[in-house]
Amino acid sequence: MKRDLNDSMQSQGSLSVSDESIARMLCDDSHVEQAVRLIMQKYGEQLYWHIRRMVVAHDDAEDCLQETMINVYKYRSTYSNEFPLSSWLYKIATNESLKLLKNRAGFTLSVDDLGDSLKESVREEVSPNADETLVLLQEAIALLPAKQKMVFNLRYYDDKSYEEIHQIVGDSVNTLKTNYHYAVQKIKDYILEHQL
Amino acid sequence: MKELDLESLSREMPYRMPEHFLDDMTERVVSQIGKQRKQRRERKFIAMFAGAASAAAVALLLLHPFGSSRFDIPDYESISQCASIDEVFQTMSAEELGVYSMMSNYYGN
Repeated sequence: MKRDLNDSMQSQGSLSVSDESIARMLCDDSHVEQAVRLIMQKYGEQLYWHIRRMVVAHDDAEDCLQETMINVYKYRSTYSNEFPLSSWLYKIATNESLKLLKNRAGFTLSVDDLGDSLKESVREEVSPNADETLVLLQEAIALLPAKQKMVFNLRYYDDKSYEEIHQIVGDSVNTLKTNYHYAVQKIKDYILEHQL
Repeated sequence: MKELDLESLSREMPYRMPEHFLDDMTERVVSQIGKQRKQRRERKFIAMFAGAASAAAVALLLLHPFGSSRFDIPDYESISQCASIDEVFQTMSAEELGVYSMMSNYYGN
């Protein structure tokens, strides 16, 4: 029976399964593993890149994504239908990324002090034939304060509306717009300054 | 002054994601969740068993409290209800009286 359900889900493709159905399955103990598979198929890649843009290194992104999914399972009862499933997932992924960065910063530093080490990681992680402007863009993002970085990434790469970003980050829409504006300005300045 | 249009830049990431990474991650996560569910079921079973054992112990205490006569040595007839010693001797045969006499001598009466 379970196997049939798996096959039918795979044949339909996870993208055709609605978030409401996934959320229902997530709260049903007999379908929870199926729900986790569907979430990974539908949102795994987005979540991975969202985390990777925050923490830069693949190994860290791997740990964060795994913790994110475990937390999705652990705290599934806290999910409310008032918000889209994707916002809830992004929120967990964002929190996990910040947690990792806070751990790395330790007691003496703040997450915002990690800019230089994250910038160094960008150079270590980029593919050999990567476009230099795109690398500079990642370096500039790495140097941003955490809040500006989150807002910029969610808006620029994930095409999230300010309302969705508000659901994920929690700040007011006006604060988010200000953060985005400053982030864009800093990024432009950095790229123009470092471009040959 | 040069102007940069961020919107014109590619959204492509300059990093790579290892091949089959998401599939492997999915399996890892599902297996970890499976382990957690199993542990939760075991904890639930242990809690249920402990609860049942406690309930049984409490029930036993309530039904058979210490000091109750049910745990005491069974009652015997009171001495007043016993037949008198003379009556017992009268009903004994000569042979039984012989044995009694011999045993009395042996144990010093």
